[in-house]
Amino acid sequence: MAAVAVTPAQDLADLQGLLVRGYGNLTSACFLLLEIDEPDAARAWLALTADLATAADSRPTASSLNVAFTSSGLRALGLDSTVIEMFSNEFVEGIATPFRQRLLGDTGESAPASWAWGGPNGAPIHVAVMLYAVDEGALATLRDAETRRAAAHGLRTVSILDTVDLGGSEHFGFSDGVSQPAMAGLGRPDRSANTVAAGEFVLGYPNQYGLLGERPVLPRSADPMEILSLDVAGSGGADLGRNGSYLVFRQLSQDVRGFWRTVDHATRRPDGTSDPVRRTMLASKMVGRWPSGASLVVTPENDDPSYAKFNDFLYQDVDRDGLRCPVGSHIRRANPRDSLDPSPGSSRSLEVTNHHRILRRGREYGHRVDVKTLFDEVGEDEERGLHFVCLNANIARQFEFLQKTWINSPKFDGLHEGDDPVVGPRQALGDTFTVPASPVRTRVRGMPRFVAVRGGAYFFLPGRRALRYLASLGD
Amino acid sequence: MERWRGQSEITIVTPVKPEAMSALGELLGAMARDVLGNDVLPFGRLTNTHFARFFLLDSAQAHDGIQLPAYLISMSDIDGRPEEGLAELVDVGGNGIDHLYSHCIGYPTALPASRQARLEYLRAHIVRADVNYVNTIGRTVQQIRGEAEVREAIEDFLDRGGPELVGGNPSAVRAAIREFVTSDGRLNWALTPAPAPPLAYRVRELVHFVVPVILGLLLLPVLVPVLLVWLVVLRLHEIRDPSPLVKPDRAHLDQLRALEDYTVQNQFIAAGFLKSGWFRRVTAVVILWLVGFGARHLFNNGNLAGVKTIHFARWILLDGAVRSVFVSNYDGSTESYMDDFIDKVAWALNAVFSNGAGYPATRWLLFGGARDEQAFKGFLRTHQLPTQVWYAAYDQLSALNIVDNAKIRAGLNGDMTELETQKWLRLL
Ligand code: HEM
Repeated sequence: MAAVAVTPAQDLADLQGLLVRGYGNLTSACFLLLEIDEPDAARAWLALTADLATAADSRPTASSLNVAFTSSGLRALGLDSTVIEMFSNEFVEGIATPFRQRLLGDTGESAPASWAWGGPNGAPIHVAVMLYAVDEGALATLRDAETRRAAAHGLRTVSILDTVDLGGSEHFGFSDGVSQPAMAGLGRPDRSANTVAAGEFVLGYPNQYGLLGERPVLPRSADPMEILSLDVAGSGGADLGRNGSYLVFRQLSQDVRGFWRTVDHATRRPDGTSDPVRRTMLASKMVGRWPSGASLVVTPENDDPSYAKFNDFLYQDVDRDGLRCPVGSHIRRANPRDSLDPSPGSSRSLEVTNHHRILRRGREYGHRVDVKTLFDEVGEDEERGLHFVCLNANIARQFEFLQKTWINSPKFDGLHEGDDPVVGPRQALGDTFTVPASPVRTRVRGMPRFVAVRGGAYFFLPGRRALRYLASLGD
Repeated sequence: MERWRGQSEITIVTPVKPEAMSALGELLGAMARDVLGNDVLPFGRLTNTHFARFFLLDSAQAHDGIQLPAYLISMSDIDGRPEEGLAELVDVGGNGIDHLYSHCIGYPTALPASRQARLEYLRAHIVRADVNYVNTIGRTVQQIRGEAEVREAIEDFLDRGGPELVGGNPSAVRAAIREFVTSDGRLNWALTPAPAPPLAYRVRELVHFVVPVILGLLLLPVLVPVLLVWLVVLRLHEIRDPSPLVKPDRAHLDQLRALEDYTVQNQFIAAGFLKSGWFRRVTAVVILWLVGFGARHLFNNGNLAGVKTIHFARWILLDGAVRSVFVSNYDGSTESYMDDFIDKVAWALNAVFSNGAGYPATRWLLFGGARDEQAFKGFLRTHQLPTQVWYAAYDQLSALNIVDNAKIRAGLNGDMTELETQKWLRLL
């Protein structure tokens, strides 16, 4: 039995690559959502897929393939239900439950019942195959090969989710992918305020509490071929979770014209004409960064692209009241850094916030909106948005907490009303955005919902040994 | 006219007739479907109640084999004295009180019972909380609702005021707000400051605080050796006590989750056995007394050691300190609540809960325990009970909102420096 790695850096060949990189160099991507029809054939498929899956030990330059399973997918592969129950509740139950609907704000037109995929009315989603390539041509080849290979093994393609490369920004027009947490001892190092334990994202390693957390550890007898690594806790069991992660996938549709028209109306001059400067300012206040990506904390008056990638800032000292970056803005909610209780501005507060970080791996989809018609009263209403993908080790404490307690909450950080102005679901008290200012704040009221949910699922992104173990289940 | 009324907790614990359990469960279910207007106890007509709830605690067998009864437990947080709260309960409930409590042992059989008989029955079953936490002592329901309205009106006024108002200097904006409040007959009550605690109350609290502290200091020479021996014995217990890792049952979780996350606030109940043996029982009683003392005198102003999301909470011991029940009304989701416990006040929860059977292992009472995230969350969820009927008087306000609203109202009066004015305007 191989020595047990104490950091994932010692086991990179077992991690799927998505855990350490977003494949930014592979600008074309698509996601195959599959249903398992024939378990035996699917396991044969998986045996090969385990070898094909791109590991984290080297940066792919041509293409990449990663694969993840829902809990019903694991069941369909033949994993025993007592083992499945060892995974976290969130994963076992799935994203589309009445409780999670309330928690995540998936109500109204965003309710799972009307989702394009992953909802109760659609075909079950068992597997996600995530494909990345250097260009559209290479991706098309890979996609065709993989859909054929899947079909040949009794895996039905429920949906193929295409993506679009907007050159580093998302559809509203803002640079995306600027701020990510760094993992201690793994990948790009960062200052300590932005570094969290690898176990926050990779199962089987100590998390921010110094604990291994919930993960499926099987009795050794369930792994007679000794494919899996031993449980580091010393239980003698085989750790099926090790080097894996939970992958949250949500198809978020963006009403780009609705967003910009709302912002435009809210900033018109008294004579009724548009004010492009104030318009961009308000939109940036909603995001918390300028279109270039520059932080409002760092450059509050106007966009400064020289700060586009700058992420080394905190809130409390410079901007306690949100006069620069509103307390309610998207990025301040999504990562409040040092600004919350128990003592804002302290390393204790940073530490608490860092229990709720996610690794974002999303990709945009749909055509870029035509800026010439952006503000027209009527115009095209094409489907476009973000295939939101994030990785975490504890869905309840990380993704769900973030979505519920920070993004969706009208009471975030002492606010009285207003949810996330960019992505919020506009539940009760949700539709007001407050822009702190001197001498007194201004507010935008009656904000419509700009981001709707069209599909989603909770996946498990196994380590490669775990993939081989799953492939061996029928043997 | 507002006056200082103080706050009281009321806990009424009544044993349920075994054969009436399921009927009572159904009745509570019916009440929950229309909390404000149901015909047993239309909570919407209570004027002095912040929070109220009814729940069932099942019968259970104690460590020594004794069968403990099932209880119907009613808890409320009210303005004024307990007598006033009881009277309002009985008056609003009317015959509904008979309907509800005739499921319980010892309730008058001649129905309808008289008002007096109802009051007497309830009074006889009051159990005093061992710990009672009030976010901010003395702030009444009327005040909380009224101040929220004042803030809303000011916010609307600012929205209407537009650039002219917003472009002014801080003092001018504040003056405009004061003028607006003064000129509105429905708001100008807020110009009188909220009533302060009267002298008699302050003296009583001071005495209640100082006497135990002085006694404690005088007894220090005795207490220190006792404490040391106690610590050693405690540590031995901690090493021996089992702390199994449990995963909550899904059906139980579903029952709990079906009641969560409808407004900005949530309710919580955790009940369980204390660990067996007199040592843990005595420890629990002493610790609860200390925690209660701290809640009353140190954490009585909106901040429970960094947690600012709890409106009211209490701990009670039942059946002669065999079972304990913890109850609270708080902002946000259960997940965030449990995270607050772990991240901010683990020591306090450890001190109390570690005397409960099955709690994650602690070290020296305060350490470990809740810091074992998975074990702690599993423990809380398995010991959590559904709140069958729950009433919250201002369910769209967070505890922090209420604190801010009071500051906004307070700032309508008096002189302020430019800096103070700026700070005050940031509250809006
Ligand atoms: C269509 C929907 C969304 C859009 C358009 C969007 C857009 C953005 C933009 C422009 C940024 C700033 C650039 C950056 O730091 O990468 C950002 C940051 C971020 N977003 Fe989103 N986002 C969306 C949904 C979400 C959701 C649903 C979540 C989480 C539940 C989320 C979590 C984050 C986080 C954690 C950050 C980084 C904050 C920081 O560390 O400072 N986003 N997003």
